[in-house]
Amino acid sequence: MSQTPPPDSPPPVAHLETKARLLLLLMVLLVAGAVGYLMYARGAFERTQELVLIADDSEGIVVGMDMTFSGFPIGRVGRIELSPEGNARIIIDVSRRDAHWLRTSSVFTMENGLVGSTRIRAFSGVLTDPPLPDGAERRVLRGDAAAEIPRMVASVRELVSNLSVLTGPEAPLNASLQSLQTAAERLNGPRGALGVLLGNEADIRKITLAVDRTNALLARLDGLVIKADSIAARTDGLVANADAQMFGASGVVPETRATVVQLNGLLADARNSLKKVDAVLVEAQAIGANTREATNDLGALRADVDASLRKVEQLVNEINRKWPFKRDTEIRLP
Amino acid sequence: MNPPPAPSAATPHPWGRGLWHWLAGWWQLVEFGSQMLVLLLSPSSYRSSQRQIIFREFYTATGPLLPAFTGIASVVSLVIIQIVVATAESYDLSRYALDVLVRTLVLELLPLMVALFVALRYTMPGAETVAGLRAQGKLHDMWRTGRDPARDELLPRVLAGVLAVALLAALGSLLALLLTYLTVYGFTTWGFAAYTRAVGQVFNPAVTLIFAFKALFLSLTVAIVPLAPEQLRRKGTERRRRDNISLLGRVFALILLGEVLSLIGNYY
Repeated sequence: MSQTPPPDSPPPVAHLETKARLLLLLMVLLVAGAVGYLMYARGAFERTQELVLIADDSEGIVVGMDMTFSGFPIGRVGRIELSPEGNARIIIDVSRRDAHWLRTSSVFTMENGLVGSTRIRAFSGVLTDPPLPDGAERRVLRGDAAAEIPRMVASVRELVSNLSVLTGPEAPLNASLQSLQTAAERLNGPRGALGVLLGNEADIRKITLAVDRTNALLARLDGLVIKADSIAARTDGLVANADAQMFGASGVVPETRATVVQLNGLLADARNSLKKVDAVLVEAQAIGANTREATNDLGALRADVDASLRKVEQLVNEINRKWPFKRDTEIRLP
Repeated sequence: MNPPPAPSAATPHPWGRGLWHWLAGWWQLVEFGSQMLVLLLSPSSYRSSQRQIIFREFYTATGPLLPAFTGIASVVSLVIIQIVVATAESYDLSRYALDVLVRTLVLELLPLMVALFVALRYTMPGAETVAGLRAQGKLHDMWRTGRDPARDELLPRVLAGVLAVALLAALGSLLALLLTYLTVYGFTTWGFAAYTRAVGQVFNPAVTLIFAFKALFLSLTVAIVPLAPEQLRRKGTERRRRDNISLLGRVFALILLGEVLSLIGNYY
């Protein structure tokens, strides 16, 4: 094979091989850099710990989507499994660097927005709780805005139909408003509020008459009150006389007080007499004590006499036994 | 390369001949593509004696295109980024702007733009040269002198086209990602982590694989299709122009097929 270029080939390029090698190196670097960057972006070089979220439904969850904490991504969905209980197990790889934001009391939610994909969020209320361990399983709370729409539309439709019924020409509200308008017109009329309340002329006249009679009754009550005032004044004088009789200089109360003083003197004399009686009783007690002591001495004397008699009896018995005329007291059997 | 059988003289209608030509052309393309793929995967194609030609073609395919491509890609990216960001902000959906930009710009538009750029600036002019060599019988002369025109003349151009698409696509993607970041976050570094995370979410394994396959398919399309021999290539300037339009249509059709397949893979 010949190395000479064909005659219509372009003019030779200076340092062609070097330039070509540089371009090849650039291409290799770019491709390798892109691969490395994508691996880094996918978290291939990140140290992670696992978190398992249990959900009823994994709809909207895709591998690689983020889990955020306060709006910042701290983990991504690694894989999704179906548990033996029929629940979705979402395994999330949480970066070790950010794992301290997750605590044992953390709450996890999965939200389906109206626009965009499903979002997984973590909330940690008490950051002083123990950190979430590796491989922890937590139930995820699901909020579905799209699912709320049909329910909301149904409620709004019901509300609108109720409003239509309320505001229709035959609706009770309309009739009530018309009645209210009629009442307001009557209030502004010559009969006023009584006309609205009673409705006919005869009743209004009766009410007016009753008011007039009540006024007359009140006038008579005024006269009675005046008479009662005069009776009260006379009662005051009577009370003054009674006071003089009771508490005057020769009234009942001072005399009673003098009698009480005399009674106090009599009581003091009686107390002295009782003291003398106490002394007599003390002496009587001493006499009683002496008598008891003499009785005890007589007992001891009697015991001595009894002992002497027993000794004499024993002596006589002894003499009778030792004496030659002693009788044989034994009974001999044949 | 075996030429397809000549159309039968007994073909009754002109539309039948046209259909035959159309099928024969695609068959020839498939045959040529297979041959080039086999050569691309053969270690013997990269012997040291081949390197000079490969380097030359690779440099021709990329070096002169780099400044123009960088400028055009930057301007197009900036315009699209501004449109998407402004629209997303006006609808209060700016948090989805990054996702939309990475998907539309990096995954869809830039590979398409790179493929068309390389096809129009390198492989189609190169195909014109190769067609001239064929017309002059120089490729047959190479056969006769013991050289392999497929390996010595065509393979370096195909390889250069493939590598040029890979290089420019990587460069364009890098530029687009950089400009997107600068437009959204400005000249700061605080948003890098969130931005990287957003990019990582778009490029899940399936999307990345489809993107790589699409880039490969587009690069092979723009590198191989224009160089395919046209058995019934007509003579004369007007007919040659029509041949070029037909070639461009074929390239477009295959690029469109690649795009459709990637969209189906990504979103269905």
